[in-house]
Amino acid sequence: MKIIKLFSLTVLLLIASKAMSQEFKLGKVSIAELEQKSHPKDSAATAAILYKKGTARIEYDVNDGFVTVTDVETRIKIYKKEGLDWANQDVWFYNYSGLREKVSFSDAVTYNIVGGKIEKTKLKSDGVFEEVLNKYKSLKKITMPNVKEGSVIEFKYSIKCPQEIIRDWDFQTSIPVNYSEFSTFIPEYYTFSPRQKGYFFPKATTARVAKSITFNSKERSGGRVTSTNFSTDYLTYMEDQVTYKAVDFPAMKDEAYVNNIDNYTSSVAHELSMTKFPNQVLKEYSADWASVVRTIYDYDDFGPELNKTGYFEDDLKKILSGINTPEEKILVILNHVKSNVKWNKYYGYGCDNGVKKAYKEKTGNIADINLMLTAMLRYSGLTANPVLVSTRSNGIALFPNRTAFNYVIAAVETPNGYVLLDASEKFTVPNVLPLRVLNWSGRLIRKDGSSEEINLMPEKTSVDNVFMNYSIDSAGKVTGKTRRQYMDYNAMITRGNIEGLKEEEYLEKLENKNKKIEISDYSKTNEKDILLPIIETYSFTGNDLCEVIGGKIYLNPMLFFATNNNPFKQESREYPVDFSFPFTDKYSINIEIPEGFVVETLPAPAAVTMEDNLGVFKFNIAANDNKLQLSILHQINEAIVSAEKYEMLKEYYKTMVEKETEKIVLKRI
Amino acid sequence: MKNLFFALFLFLTTLNSFAQKSNYPILSIPDSLKQNANAVIRLDQMDIVIASQRSMNIKTQRVVSVLNEKGLNDIDAYCHYDKTTSIKNIEAIVYDALGNEIKKIKRKDFKDQSAVGGSTLFSDNRVLYLNYTPISYPFTIAYTSEVETSNTAFIPKWYFIGGYYLSVEKCVLNVTFPKGLGFKKKEFQFDNFNITKTADTDTNLSYTATNITAQKQEDLSPSPSDLFPKVMMGLENFHLEGVDGNATTWEAFGKWYEDKILTGTTVLTEETKAKIKALVGDEKDPIKKAKIIYDYVQKKSRYVNIAIGIGGWKPMLANDVDRLGYGDCKALSNYTKALLQVVDVPSYNTILYGDRYKENIQSDFVSMQGNHMILAIPNKDNYIWLECTSQDDPFGYQGTFTDDRDVLVVKPEGGQIVRTKIYDDKGNTQVGKGVYTIDPTGNFSGTLKIASQGSVYASKSRVETMQPNEKEEYYKEYWDNINNLKLGKITFTNDKENIRFTEDVQISAVNYGAITGNKMIFVVDAFNQYTGNVKRIRNRKNPFQIQRGFLDTDEIEINLPEGFSIEFLPSNYELKGKFGEYKTEIIKKDNNKLTYKRSMFLNKGKYSNKEYDEYRLFMEQVSRNDNAKIILTKN
Repeated sequence: MKIIKLFSLTVLLLIASKAMSQEFKLGKVSIAELEQKSHPKDSAATAAILYKKGTARIEYDVNDGFVTVTDVETRIKIYKKEGLDWANQDVWFYNYSGLREKVSFSDAVTYNIVGGKIEKTKLKSDGVFEEVLNKYKSLKKITMPNVKEGSVIEFKYSIKCPQEIIRDWDFQTSIPVNYSEFSTFIPEYYTFSPRQKGYFFPKATTARVAKSITFNSKERSGGRVTSTNFSTDYLTYMEDQVTYKAVDFPAMKDEAYVNNIDNYTSSVAHELSMTKFPNQVLKEYSADWASVVRTIYDYDDFGPELNKTGYFEDDLKKILSGINTPEEKILVILNHVKSNVKWNKYYGYGCDNGVKKAYKEKTGNIADINLMLTAMLRYSGLTANPVLVSTRSNGIALFPNRTAFNYVIAAVETPNGYVLLDASEKFTVPNVLPLRVLNWSGRLIRKDGSSEEINLMPEKTSVDNVFMNYSIDSAGKVTGKTRRQYMDYNAMITRGNIEGLKEEEYLEKLENKNKKIEISDYSKTNEKDILLPIIETYSFTGNDLCEVIGGKIYLNPMLFFATNNNPFKQESREYPVDFSFPFTDKYSINIEIPEGFVVETLPAPAAVTMEDNLGVFKFNIAANDNKLQLSILHQINEAIVSAEKYEMLKEYYKTMVEKETEKIVLKRI
Repeated sequence: MKNLFFALFLFLTTLNSFAQKSNYPILSIPDSLKQNANAVIRLDQMDIVIASQRSMNIKTQRVVSVLNEKGLNDIDAYCHYDKTTSIKNIEAIVYDALGNEIKKIKRKDFKDQSAVGGSTLFSDNRVLYLNYTPISYPFTIAYTSEVETSNTAFIPKWYFIGGYYLSVEKCVLNVTFPKGLGFKKKEFQFDNFNITKTADTDTNLSYTATNITAQKQEDLSPSPSDLFPKVMMGLENFHLEGVDGNATTWEAFGKWYEDKILTGTTVLTEETKAKIKALVGDEKDPIKKAKIIYDYVQKKSRYVNIAIGIGGWKPMLANDVDRLGYGDCKALSNYTKALLQVVDVPSYNTILYGDRYKENIQSDFVSMQGNHMILAIPNKDNYIWLECTSQDDPFGYQGTFTDDRDVLVVKPEGGQIVRTKIYDDKGNTQVGKGVYTIDPTGNFSGTLKIASQGSVYASKSRVETMQPNEKEEYYKEYWDNINNLKLGKITFTNDKENIRFTEDVQISAVNYGAITGNKMIFVVDAFNQYTGNVKRIRNRKNPFQIQRGFLDTDEIEINLPEGFSIEFLPSNYELKGKFGEYKTEIIKKDNNKLTYKRSMFLNKGKYSNKEYDEYRLFMEQVSRNDNAKIILTKN
């Protein structure tokens, strides 16, 4: 894999040096670009970014001090009707009293070829709109005029931000990008840490040049006669310039079982890590995980919230009386938070309402809930700490920066390792977290500001245990009983599925999903006792579960539990397969065949083991008079399977599907 | 003294809290209303006061007890506003299960956002809505709002259920209106619901609905708006964004629309006119002229919805569309009309409901209706309908978005209700012709040509414009009965002249034939399995409907592997009933060559709840026979 990456990088560099000679400048649209019918490297592309050039400059403004000015110019080719949406563009910006950005579009022109000549249509004000998104953000939108298949559009926008914020830059998107360039111009007083991610990396070049600021100042001297002195000062400083160039980056395509495609999109993000102004002390923001974590810990809505205890002490004393072991304490406290404070569906590692208010009003965001949980655990005498998390939808926290995280959970240190807790959902238990949290690793913060990486991916396999006994009559009707036990993550998911459904509704679903069997005597065990596996038992009959053809009975022994389709249908795979958690599916099946029939053919026992202990499939079957016994095991030991193992995984599933759909043939004696 | 005062004060407050009655406790909901319900409407009262043609005030009070998480959607605490509609007040109070007040939600705590999304680029319309996180279930929310508007063209429908798993304790509608504005109403689906009309005078209309139990959702049901009670209301003399309007008859309404809204919107520059005339050239036939112009519009324009100008009811000027190359359904229809005018082809703006689910303009209730616009070109006794927002649709094709429904055609002399094109069930065809071969190890390879016409064209032709990965996904889904499917060459022929879409597909799959001992088993019907799963429903209550019928015919050559002989062949099968006809036939040509013929015809229709099980069994028999297997034995 590394070799491939390196190789593609060299290829890119080679092309890059060739492409450099081309001129990327607004207004210089060529006939060749307009006449091009499809993208030379991706014939299916509906549109392509021919070039996109951005600069982010931190400049001195006489009125506002240092500000950030971002200028972006783009040329897009539309190949197909499905690509016409690229003619609508928008840019979001902060728009509230604390941070007011300004966005303006300019030089927006559509190019078409008419009778061999280039026709230009300019965007006018009737194609520019502004929309308020929420309290903080607005959108500036444009829709380009006169766009059709074959058009080339160009536009430029500028964002002026009164603070030192450099926006993220994506070198890839859902259409191919022929050329993408991003430059930063940063005075020596600022240190930003650039963070690149993705499967492709653009090339970066750096330079340092001298710059100067001119201050014009007026001074009045007092006295009977006032005189005004005008003075001009120059301040010289060094400016760091970094330019990233990406050439011929392919379109991003989503695949099944990818947790978040953004993790693989080539991009660069910048975060302020340090400032050092003349005659001032150096100020550090974040450069490594340790300082990021310290910065976060010092936020008013984080560390101080952990230290508040007064609001819950009375309640906690009551529920903790007589409770001694750490395990019991954890359960009691987790349960107390869960039943008293409900999640308002907002993420964040910083408190929204503040723990005190959240406790009183019984509702809060993730931080309100889980920081409160951490504080209570600490109060009970346990070593508990918050763990910063980036959820699946937020992408993987690859680089140390404050915005890498958007979530927080709690961890208790025990002699047997960490116990991870999240009180925002009803059916979580210690070490069984909502699926959104399962995203590689998180960062634990201790009181003293030190921190540690914590693996979030479950290592223990979650078991799904099925026992089934059934008999068949000579007409092919199946009558039987099953008992299904869901453990850990399976239990959490199942409880979530059952919750809020009327039993009749749930059974109707179950019946229809399972080849229209008829269910009776349905019961659930441990529905409320969430520490224990949830168990479902029911009796069933089915007329559609086996086939009688030419006097013989063809039976799929797993009935409705068989995996009929290989979920991995793609020929090849770019990104890792994400199962969320490792699992073990076990089936023990006893079958009674009808009187007057004997087994003609039985599937042969089989076993498949994947390399590196990735997984194992076992299929065993034995016949004994009119009784058959089966045991099937399907176990995947890793939550995330790398793309290199895709072929093996696909092959494994293929064999499994074949085996699980193989039929038993019964014939009359 | 101080103490005494304190005691007195305490006493007073206690008294006071005693006097405070609890509001809407959950306990007081009758069991019958809790059954199948995720939420219960305790009270929904809408008071509409129409003061004049240009002034309407609507007060809403809605108290909903939410029994579980799924009932959250039934709170419906939201309010639209725009330039002409202002929200006078809006607030909500949350009560716990016992009826104690636990939270007050003020206007500033409501979320404020643009009321449109998706394909609309910009609109003035915004919405305030409540986003409340329940602390526990059940709980009750009492929401009140008051809006004032100068638009009287749209009086809200009284449509208080609006969904499944929702029961109603009490709903009230009070409308007062001045004499002389021509207030009118139409009642729908009142049967079997407990609704009383408490007033119906020349200035007043009131209803009360009580104790309506919750309904379960059932597949193939008509849309809730065709099942649950509703009242449509309107004024003959109404007002819309600065324009007075008249809706006494469709003629008058159409004329108003033409004169007040459409007039002056079809002006084009001389340059454009000359260009269009040159494009059409010597063509004399109006339909052929229209084809040239439709093609021109399709190539030139794209769909962008910008909802400004008379609440989004006035089309953008044709000249602007000509310059900008985009517009919404009204803009593009109107632009096409303007171009057709240049070459003397008459055409009419047509207002309708665009949706896969067929919904009529209510022909006996003259009012502003519909959500979409197309263009009608008179063609002898009939019309040709143009969908101007599509860059792909063949000329005159209506697919499944605008077919077979009542629409309003706006002619200069007035409006007229017309039915759009009905695609005959037997014309919605899919014809499959192909061959497949099974090798001795059970591997499958085959080619198939599928030609689709009628309404089937709409669902199939979209495959052509898919991205390669979407195409792969589509076919792997379409043939999910074939495991390990590999796609070979795929070619499409899109014959827009005859509206026929042909797919030519090569596929292969390992292990299609399952080998068990010395036998090989496989499903004969590899290419076209009926996949619509008809669910078992316990005690179906609602009628069901099949909106569009179809006719599939397939003829497949099958090459069996060498070295095997046939142990079992499924017998020929025929099924006829009120829902349709199904027939399969296997012809043995020689020892390892078969021909498989399958035809399936499904009728469109409306059926009672009692007939559902019959339909399910019909489909199950089809599905079972589609799954019939051949068994081969190794020689």
